[in-house]
This record gives sequence, C-alpha cells and structure tokens, in this order.
Amino acid sequence: MTNERRAETTAEATARGRTYGAFRCLNCFERNTAPSGAKSFKCPKCGFEWRLSWPMPTQPRIRGPVWETNRRLAEEATAKQTKGEK
Amino acid sequence: MALNRKIAYIDLTTGTVEAKPIPVKMRKQFLGGRGLDAYLLYNHIKPGVDALGPDNVLLVSAGVLVGTLASASSRTHVAAKSPLTGYFGSCNMGGFFSPELRFAGFDHLVIKGKAAKPVYLWIHNGEIEIRDASKVWGKGVRDTQEAIREELGDHEIKAMTIGIAGENKVRYANVMTEIKNSGGRTGMGAVMGSKNLKAIAVRGTMDIKIAHPAEALEYDKKVISQVTAAKVSQEMGKLGTLFIWGATNSQGLVRTRNFQLNQLDESDAIEPEEFEEHTFGMAACYGCQVHCRARYVIPDGEYKGVYDEGPEYTSIGAFAGEPGCRDLTTVLAANHLVNDYGMDTLEVGGMIAWAMELYEKGILTDKDTGGLDLSFGNEAAVIEMIHRIAKREGLGDILAEGPLRAAEKIGKDSIKYQIHVKGMSALHSDDRPAPALALGIATASRGADHLRSRPAIDLYHLPEPVLRQIYGQPVPYEGPLTSDYTDYEGKSWQVFWQEQCYMAVDSLGICKYHTIFLGPNFPNFEEWSKLLYYNTGLEMTPLDIWNVARRANMLERMFNLREGLTKQEDWLVDRYFDEPTKLGIPKIRGRVIDRDKLHKLIDEFYGFQGWDTKGVPKPETLKALGLEKEPSHQL
Amino acid sequence: MTKQLVIDYEKCTGCRLCEMVCSVKHEGVVNPARSRINIAKWETKGLTVPVVCRQCEDAPCVSACPTNARMRDEELGRVIVNYDRCIGCKTCVVACPFGAINWDPLARKVISCDLCDGEPQCARFCETGAIRFIEVSTANKDRQREAAGQLLESMQKPVQPAAR
Ligand code: SF4
Ligand code: SF4
Ligand code: SF4
Ligand SMILES: [Zn+2]
Repeated sequence: MTNERRAETTAEATARGRTYGAFRCLNCFERNTAPSGAKSFKCPKCGFEWRLSWPMPTQPRIRGPVWETNRRLAEEATAKQTKGEK
Repeated sequence: MALNRKIAYIDLTTGTVEAKPIPVKMRKQFLGGRGLDAYLLYNHIKPGVDALGPDNVLLVSAGVLVGTLASASSRTHVAAKSPLTGYFGSCNMGGFFSPELRFAGFDHLVIKGKAAKPVYLWIHNGEIEIRDASKVWGKGVRDTQEAIREELGDHEIKAMTIGIAGENKVRYANVMTEIKNSGGRTGMGAVMGSKNLKAIAVRGTMDIKIAHPAEALEYDKKVISQVTAAKVSQEMGKLGTLFIWGATNSQGLVRTRNFQLNQLDESDAIEPEEFEEHTFGMAACYGCQVHCRARYVIPDGEYKGVYDEGPEYTSIGAFAGEPGCRDLTTVLAANHLVNDYGMDTLEVGGMIAWAMELYEKGILTDKDTGGLDLSFGNEAAVIEMIHRIAKREGLGDILAEGPLRAAEKIGKDSIKYQIHVKGMSALHSDDRPAPALALGIATASRGADHLRSRPAIDLYHLPEPVLRQIYGQPVPYEGPLTSDYTDYEGKSWQVFWQEQCYMAVDSLGICKYHTIFLGPNFPNFEEWSKLLYYNTGLEMTPLDIWNVARRANMLERMFNLREGLTKQEDWLVDRYFDEPTKLGIPKIRGRVIDRDKLHKLIDEFYGFQGWDTKGVPKPETLKALGLEKEPSHQL
Repeated sequence: MTKQLVIDYEKCTGCRLCEMVCSVKHEGVVNPARSRINIAKWETKGLTVPVVCRQCEDAPCVSACPTNARMRDEELGRVIVNYDRCIGCKTCVVACPFGAINWDPLARKVISCDLCDGEPQCARFCETGAIRFIEVSTANKDRQREAAGQLLESMQKPVQPAAR
C-alpha cells in the first residue's frame, strides 16, 4: 500500500535521478553540460543558443536566449510549420 | 507540547478577549493554519456579509508545525471573506511572526467586530491587550513595526501590520511583517483596515515542547538536506525566486504588455544576474536553510540608498514584464514601495498593465489619467501609479477597487482586457501553452492563483515514471500522466494532487519551497507524517494528512458556493482562448487554450474532487470526509 | 588542538535555526529565550549577527563570579558553570562583554554555550558557513588566502598552469 511507512520515500527515490552540473535546453529539453564558466551555449540537438551564468561553480543555468539566433530559428520553424499545414 | 497553543476570540467592538484550548480531535481533522482557518471561516462568517464591514471575521494563524524543527516552519496564515473577490480570502506569509505568536501561547486568532478608533493588539505570554494605535496610524509598514517595538520597549517584538494601502482599504492591500514578508492576495490588509486594526504585535518566551527531541533533531537534519540538495534550492539561495525568470521568459511563458505578448525580449538588463550585483547576502525566514530573500540597496534614482528585500519573480513580472519596462531600478523601487505601502505586487502590476492597455486602446485618456502618460514602457508612470493606488488618488482610486469594480467604473469594453479569475488578477505567467497551469488558475479557490494548485513542475518535462512516483501517492492513481506541458492528458489529476499538497503545507505551516512546487524531489506527505510525529507527537499517516487537505479544500469550496460561486466562474477570460501566443520557442508559438478540452479537464477535476457536474460537493463526498454536519460550531 | 565556534556574520541569513536546535538539544523545547546562541537583528538594515560565547581565555564572567561556579574547562577549551556552586546571582550575565550569557526564565538559571560537549548542533545545522566549528588556529586561513589572492591580482603576475 502506498500509505504505509516505506523504507524510501518518493522524495528520496526521485532524488537519485538528480543530475548535478547538467541543465536542460529550454527549447528541446535535451540535458546538456557546458565547459566550466562558459558564457554561452549552443544546443547540439536543436541549435538554439543560450546565454549562461554560473550561480555555483559547477552548476550553470540559462540566463536568457541569444535573442537574434533564437528568434530567427523560431520564426523559421513556424514558417515551415505553416507551410506544411497548407 | 506544540499542540497546547490556544485559540483566542477577540471582539474589537466590545473589547473582549476569550481564549480556549484546541482539542486534539480538531487537530486530527484540520491540523492548523489554513486548514483550521477553513473550518473557522465556514463556521464564523454568516453568508453575504460585507467584507469590509464589522461582520467579517479576520483569522490569523500558525500552522501546526510552526516553530518546530520541521524545515522552514515559519508560515503565518490569514483569512477572511475577501473584499476583492467576495469569496474565500486567504493569504500566507513567511517571516517570524507566527513562531513568535506560538512562543506567546497562541495558534489561532479569531478577530471580530470593528474598533471605534485605530488599535493594535499586543500579545505576550498568554496575555492579549488591545492598545491605542493613533501613534502608528498613517505610518508605513516598517516604521509601524519599529514604532511599536519602541513603544513597548522590546527589540524582539514581531509584528504583523498594514501599511497606508490597508488603511485606505485598497481592495488588494496586504498584511505584512518584517521588511517584505507579505500576506498578499485577496485583500486581507483591507479587512484589517476596515476593522481599524493597524497591527498585531507578539512576543513570547513560552516553550514549544518537542515530542521526541533526539529523533526530531536527526530527522529534521535529513529533511533539510533533502531540500538544500536540490538544484532549485541552490539557485534560489543565490538569486531568490527571480531565478524562475530565466526559464520562463526564455521560452516565452510570461505575459507582457498586459496580455498582448508572451515574452519580454532584449531584456538582459532585468535578468536576475543583474539584480544580484546590487544585493548583499541573502535573508531567510524562520528555520529555513534555503534563504531565498535577497538584501539590497536601491542603486540610484529617487530612492537611492534605501534598503529593502526581495525582489521576487512576481516583482519582475509586475513591474517589468506586464508594463513592458526594462529597468532594474524601477523594479527595485516599485518593490520597495509596494512593501512599505503594503499592497499585493501582483495585483498592482496587473492593474497598472491593464490601465496601460486601456490607455493604448484609447479607453482611458489623458483626462482620466490626470495627464499621466500611461504608455507601455513608461517606468515613471509605474512608480507614480503605485503612489496613487495606495493613496487612492485620481485614477488610482478606481484601480484600488480591483479588476471587476474598476472595470465597471471605467466601463466601455475595459473588462475585455482584464486578466482575472473570480475578480482576482493572474500572475504574469502566460498559461496558454500549459493547460495544467491554466486549469489551476481557473479552479483555484481564491481566484486566479498560482499558489493554490499549480503543478509548476509540469514545465520541467519530467519523465513519466517520475511523475508516477510523485502523483501516485499517498492515494493511488493509474490514469494518464504526460511529460509534455502543452498536453492536456492527466493534467487534471496533477492539479488536484497539488491542491492537496499545498493545503497540507499551509496547514502544517511549512513553506511551499520545501515541498513539490518548484522542484520534483522535495519532501511531501511521507516526510510530513514523520515530522508531525517527532515534533508534536501527533500520529498521522500520509493518507490522514491528505484527508486533512481534502477536508479543508472542501470547506473552502463550500464557503465559496455559499457566497454564490457558480461553475461559470471556474473559467478563464476570453483572451486565453481567442488570442494565440506570438513569441518564444517554436513549441509554444500560436498556442491558445482549447475551450472543449478545458471543459473536459474541469469535469475530470470535479470528478476527482467528488463534486457533481455543477461543481458542488456530493453528499457522499461530504460524508466520507466527515463534513456532512458543517457548520458544526465546535470551535 | 582547540576547536571553537567561528562566526562570520556576513554569511548569516537570520534564520534562527541555530537557536532552535540549541534549545532542543539542551532543553527538548524550541524556545529562543532558552537558547545558548541568539541572533541580534537590525531589521531595517538587513543585518543579523549570531551572538554566542567566545570561550574567553581570560574570561570576565569567570573573574566576576563570586562563588567560583564559572570556570574554564581546558579539555574542551570552554567556559562552564558548576550549578552546584552557582547561586543564580546573574553577575556573569552582566559581566560578559558580548551578552552571551542568557538567563533562562523557566529553569531559572544562567545558560551559555557549552559547545554541546564537543558536537555543536548550531554549526551542524547552519549550512551557510556563518557558524563553523573549527580549529582556532586555522580560523583565519581562508581570509588570509583571499587577501593574499587579491594582493597577487593587484601585482598582476598571472601564474601559468603547469604544462602537461
Ligand atoms: S543557523 Fe546560521 S544562518 Fe541561521 S541564524 Fe544561525 S548563524 Fe545565521
Ligand atoms: S560568557 Fe562571555 S565572558 Fe564568559 S567566556 Fe563566554 S564570551 Fe567570554
Ligand atoms: S555549540 Fe551547542 S550550546 Fe553552543 S550555541 Fe551551539 S548549539 Fe548552543
Ligand atoms: Zn535544444
């Protein structure tokens, strides 16, 4: 039964899946790593580019998009999509 | 023992005070904090009373774990009938107030009537005194607290207070404690103001006895580590809740220019990392190792050199995203002003952005604004409008009335541009691409709100097995769950589950950042069961705690229905359905919420709740939860 | 080797968890008034400073005590109270220049940090680094390196990493 005291709680069990140092691309959600201290990052899977910051020495986060690149990629993708629909 | 704290009934009209113990039976049914408040409100408020009249009842409470070793057991809950929505009013804040309330011997305050002149309450070691507040009436939030400390001659006094906005009964005035801890939302500050109650000062040196001290020390250490090991905790411990902006604005999940666009582009200047440069160290609430509150000094402008704390994710949304501004100092100054006036950041930002769109559309003109240029992007106008709303000057007086009343006063088709649910403004998040989030705000008990049932982790694309582990306990769930946040499948269960989760933390008195809100691997029902046992001696299974949440949520619903809520109000404004998103990553461009699919989600949600198709609890649901005889007037 | 509580108030977030665990450890209750550590706070300036016994070598509280109840315990490098001798006159409370001795209003006795007999709970729970329990003679080493590092930088002599 879910309600009994379990040896390992849900929080403990799911925490084992933590991936320190990695971060997800905010477009395709692929998990990535970046060289320590890198200021920007291009997702190898989808090509979107992000500006990074390093709140902890080993943990980067996405600070924001490289506006021009991502805007262009998004516009291209939607254009393709609408064409496909027609 | 932690359970021996009392409930006090205070009648401001007659000046009488009565204290009673809280039976353990009631604890097992409702725990404390928001849970017991739901019971008290349903029992003590007569249907249809004027929210700003003497018949409204103001509840102030501590969760049952407050002041114990349970991680971040700092939360104060405040409830009353809301002057903003007319439904269940409820807000929750961190800081140090409710632990001190417990050290002073009390868990729940039931405040009735209206004082003839401004007063404040002075509560210390079991005693409650009603004192003259003429010296602090008219003062801002921080000056009030300092003045009370001085008057009573004790630095250690903690006070919950209203600012000028509460005195002026701005319908979304906050109750505040410390520099920035805010009981925002639903206008509880206006209720205090309407009762001529300026503040509640507390100080105590009474023991909170820990039931099993050695075990509590060890177990709490473990739970704290579970929390602080999370990546989100570490980011939040450096940048505060601002850290969320990076993820949401990057994707295009924020509302800007009221609700016309869904991303604030080229906004590098207001990214969290920029704020960080002006902060010096982080501050925490009682017993919390996450410390999400930045200390800062405003770097320039009119308020240069002023100390404040925050800002929060909501502050960027309210004072940059929604009004289309990109100025850091404006956000910092605006955050300071709303803190000291004691107003809900979110509602203020929403109202100003709405006025800006009305100005853009020509519905409001220079004549209405008194010559103020309310164009999007005008930072000075944001600051000026904050003053005017708090002081109820000119257009500010209208905006101070909240979404529905203001729209009625302004007329034309101004209501079309309001982004609200049940008369309360929505967070600046754009929920059109995320049905789970949209369902949450549509159905939340206090109106458009992200802290009542939002499955925020839905945005993380978590693998389905992880979702199953989380959402499959403490009651089993075998229906669909999907990783994609643009999907509709299974979102009704997630919202339902989160609603119980948040009610449980609010009743325990723990901060939401210490449970499944911003991250998936946080303590929840199982941990709380143990924390309760070690700290208070209460033996409750995870399922028992779940049922407390169900019971309390049910009473909030029943309160709302009694005040006339209908199914039609569990719904969103048309823009969610009719105007597609334009910006952001490809996945979320061109998104609207689908009416039929949202209807289906709502039906499922009602089903999980045990409500009929009209959203009314079925008799068997009430019976199963032991609520068939409410109001039962046991407390 | 003596370990001491080393306080870095700039790291303190003011959470008062140290107060809680201290009173739970000693009295089985949460009660800041009965904690051996306290947080002094200037709310409107954003300052929070942990105040705790410094375990003075030449302790004013020890010299002030009329019954020799307060004394140094060299084994753990701390100042303790012999409650058999203590008459509760509170002279030490006033004598301590740091205000680090509390009068416990319920137990009616003086209390100050006893280093938890060598396992300080406050330091264990404070994850910010505001309270550390470390060898006294190394307490300044981090700051030393930091300052030296700045000096190095100002001399602008970048050091090349060793070639592999
Ligand atoms: S536990 Fe650490 S951060 Fe918290 S108040 Fe104590 S010294 Fe400060
Ligand atoms: S109590 Fe005060 S005087 Fe005595 S040893 Fe501690 S810090 Fe020094
Ligand atoms: S070392 Fe122990 S006795 Fe001393 S302040 Fe810390 S917790 Fe209290
Ligand atoms: Zn990618």
